[in-house]
Amino acid sequence: MKIVVCVKQVPSSNEVKLDPKTNTIIREADKSVINPYDKFAIEEALKIKDNLKGEVIALSMGIPATEKILRDAMSRGCDRSVLLSDKKFAGADTLATAYTLSLGIKKIKNVSLIICGKMAIDGDTAQIGPELAETLKIPHITDVSEIIKISENEITCRKINDNGYSIIKMVLPAVITVVKDINLPRLPTIPGVLKSIHASFEIINAHNATANINRIGSTGSPTQVIDTFIPERKNVAIEIEGDIDKKIDFIGDIIKEIMYNGRIDN
Amino acid sequence: MQNRLINKMNENFAEYLRDESRVCGNADSISFPKDEESIINIVKDAYNKNILLTIQGARTGLAAGAVPNGGHIINLSKMDKIISMKNVDEEYYLTVQPGLILSNLIEEVENKKICIENFSKESKKAYVKFLADKNKYFFAPDPTEKTATLGGMVACNASGAKSYLYGSTRNHVTGLKIVFIDGDKLSIQRGVYKARGRRLSFFTSENKKIELKLPKYEMPTTKNASGYFIEDNMDLIDLFIGSDGTLGIITEIEIKLKKRPNIIWGVNCFFEKEDIVIEFVQEVKKQMNCIAAIEFFDKNALEILRKQRENSSGFSKLPSVRKEMEASIYLEIHADDEEKAIEALKNIGEIMKELGNSDENTWVGRTDEDKNKLLLFRHAVPESVNMLIDSRRKDNSKITKLGTDMAVKSKDFRYIFNLYKKDLMKYNLEYAIWGHIGDNHLHVNILPRDINDFEIGKILYKNWADKVSEIGGAVSAEHGIGKIKTEFLKIMYGEEHINEMVKLKKYFDSKELLSIGNMFKIEKGSKY
Ligand SMILES: Cc1cc2nc3c(=O)[nH]c(=O)nc-3n(C[C@H](O)[C@H](O)[C@H](O)COP(=O)(O)OP(=O)(O)OC[C@H]3O[C@@H](n4cnc5c(N)ncnc54)[C@H](O)[C@@H]3O)c2cc1C
Ligand SMILES: Cc1cc2nc3c(=O)[nH]c(=O)nc-3n(C[C@H](O)[C@H](O)[C@H](O)COP(=O)(O)OP(=O)(O)OC[C@H]3O[C@@H](n4cnc5c(N)ncnc54)[C@H](O)[C@@H]3O)c2cc1C
Repeated sequence: MKIVVCVKQVPSSNEVKLDPKTNTIIREADKSVINPYDKFAIEEALKIKDNLKGEVIALSMGIPATEKILRDAMSRGCDRSVLLSDKKFAGADTLATAYTLSLGIKKIKNVSLIICGKMAIDGDTAQIGPELAETLKIPHITDVSEIIKISENEITCRKINDNGYSIIKMVLPAVITVVKDINLPRLPTIPGVLKSIHASFEIINAHNATANINRIGSTGSPTQVIDTFIPERKNVAIEIEGDIDKKIDFIGDIIKEIMYNGRIDN
Repeated sequence: MQNRLINKMNENFAEYLRDESRVCGNADSISFPKDEESIINIVKDAYNKNILLTIQGARTGLAAGAVPNGGHIINLSKMDKIISMKNVDEEYYLTVQPGLILSNLIEEVENKKICIENFSKESKKAYVKFLADKNKYFFAPDPTEKTATLGGMVACNASGAKSYLYGSTRNHVTGLKIVFIDGDKLSIQRGVYKARGRRLSFFTSENKKIELKLPKYEMPTTKNASGYFIEDNMDLIDLFIGSDGTLGIITEIEIKLKKRPNIIWGVNCFFEKEDIVIEFVQEVKKQMNCIAAIEFFDKNALEILRKQRENSSGFSKLPSVRKEMEASIYLEIHADDEEKAIEALKNIGEIMKELGNSDENTWVGRTDEDKNKLLLFRHAVPESVNMLIDSRRKDNSKITKLGTDMAVKSKDFRYIFNLYKKDLMKYNLEYAIWGHIGDNHLHVNILPRDINDFEIGKILYKNWADKVSEIGGAVSAEHGIGKIKTEFLKIMYGEEHINEMVKLKKYFDSKELLSIGNMFKIEKGSKY
């Protein structure tokens, strides 16, 4: 079985820096990591491979330095990786990103299952999985917390939803997006790390991907970013002074206020 | 004592009667001085009134060194500032107060975010240079307990996993300020006061000349935190490092920072047969020079972790270890560049394979997230054992964990390891062994199920101290002697040398008031 895992490079710190002029995220290669959710996607693919045999391919769209995180994915057990990289892909919104990733999937050929993370911690839209499935005209299940059964032609998943869970079966090829509870990602091994240094890593540009120029990068992105900002943090910590009785009274007052008024400003 | 700083003991201060050894003492009063002057006032008063004094840092000590024996407690946790920085010959030095907590120091140094509020112009200049320096820096000593204070670390000569490569706290301290029990002071810079043979003389701040006749014992050549540091032509500063609070109060510490290697990776290697581990470690030590830490976990430690993982949500994020695995070695690679680190990984894999073990049985931590997982794994072992003991203590409060802290020479390691195991099996005790195998220094932890186990454990512990002393090892390699291992120190050095240590202490504390009971028991009125 051929499984593709979509992995995105995201900033390692929670503090995302924005370019004030272009309103886009400043991406620094050496401070980037695999999107945390995508580690669970990788692990789920490896688990399927452990049972059904086959190949796991890590796929990403990003700047050339994304090679580093793709090699990291290979050190964890992915067999090879493909990077869609071209200046022409830059500035893509979710629609253009999904289209571009679909070109990568088509190039890889005969893919049975595509696994994405539930969402990326920087973009945060959780749209790529479903949009990728729609672009490829195949079914999808989001927020998968367990693969109950999988064969060459069919998959049964537990999907988390607001009120509990659903169990859904669908035919393959298909897309799933996974949540963090689904597994516990394994750590790389020494042979895994050594293999990843020389493992096959392919870069595909817009031309080789036979991309429709009107559907990629900023040209292919209907989303208009008007403004981006870091949300202001309103809550402040307060230090409670005085002896133990005073402190208890103070905390008691805070709890009362929250109980009666919902919340307080401090 | 009538001083604004002095608090009478009451139940609000109950926690200050204990440390992590869980021994409970007693005291009449406690103070939390914020500067050296306050300390001097307190000690002078105590000295005049013959009041016993106990010094405390963060009370994370495992040997009851900070547990009071009556009298007054000076707790230094409020003296927690970084005071100054200097840059000499491209090296950076920080002067800190003794109550500074290690984790705060690490954070400020490694993120280059030092609070410079109290810095002089000179210090600020050094700091500007530090910020512009493209290298990263760190303070190398890394005891597992990161809430220890720097004063406590110096007093115990603490060490950690990375001491295999970088040595213990001693190797990173370049200056000390000491306040003596009579209020006199001493400022020492490493290299200034050297002994001639075993004679050492120096002047205090009040220009008092002190001439010491140093004890005659030879220290073990192993890692060591037992008794005073004594050797021919030694530096005065080394006498105070590891002195367990018995000679004076450390009020300022100058430390030297080290350049942080560009690449730090961790590798957990798992073995199906425990007996291969010693050979593996020997080969790693022989073949590799970029290894900073070599840590061991035995089968029982791994089993305790497995159970914790199943039963406690806090540990459920730990990666799981296959059941067949009997032992684990953690190695930390410190290298200048990735190429060298990859070479090191290869080397480790090859040694494993040569010994008939698959290198697939490894966890490599290269990203922060993965490294944190490895750290969680290492910390979960002692934590799980403590939780286990705490639950047993509910049934029988007399039971405590019996944890050894002994180091031997490389050539004796296999002998002592086999002895531990043979004795533990013979008496069918529950135990887990882990620790700094790179320094031939393991913590054997006996986990008594009942009082009988506990009594047998104590006897074994003493027997091992006998054996370790016999072959020139150290009865405490990092936690210090404190109040609970004084018997072992006696075994290690013998009565005569203990008497020399008592005599040495009395040069500084003639009235026998300071940290009484640490290192050796002093009989009141004894004449040495
Ligand atoms: C308003 C807005 C402004 C944006 N501005 C910028 C910007 O300035 N610069 C910029 O780089 N991006 C920007 N993006 C994000 C950009 O659109 C995303 O890179 C991309 O569309 C993925 O969306 P997401 O991050 O929300 O991913 P999600 O939909 O949240 O991600 C779900 C999963 O999809 C997969 N996935 C997502 N992206 C990739 C990828 N690139 N390669 C492989 N797999 C992937 C992963 O498996 C991931 O776990 C912006 C998005 C929006 C909505
Ligand atoms: C979970 C755990 C793990 C640990 N791991 C390690 C480890 O890996 N390596 C290791 O070496 N230790 C370890 N320890 C032991 C302990 O953390 C160290 O001994 C540490 O150095 C004690 O520092 P402290 O500030 O808590 O000192 P305290 O416990 O308060 O005091 C220890 C001794 O130092 C003296 N002292 C403290 N401050 C001063 C001062 N300013 N002047 C003079 N004397 C002073 C005290 O009188 C006492 O004798 C561990 C402890 C725990 C609980």
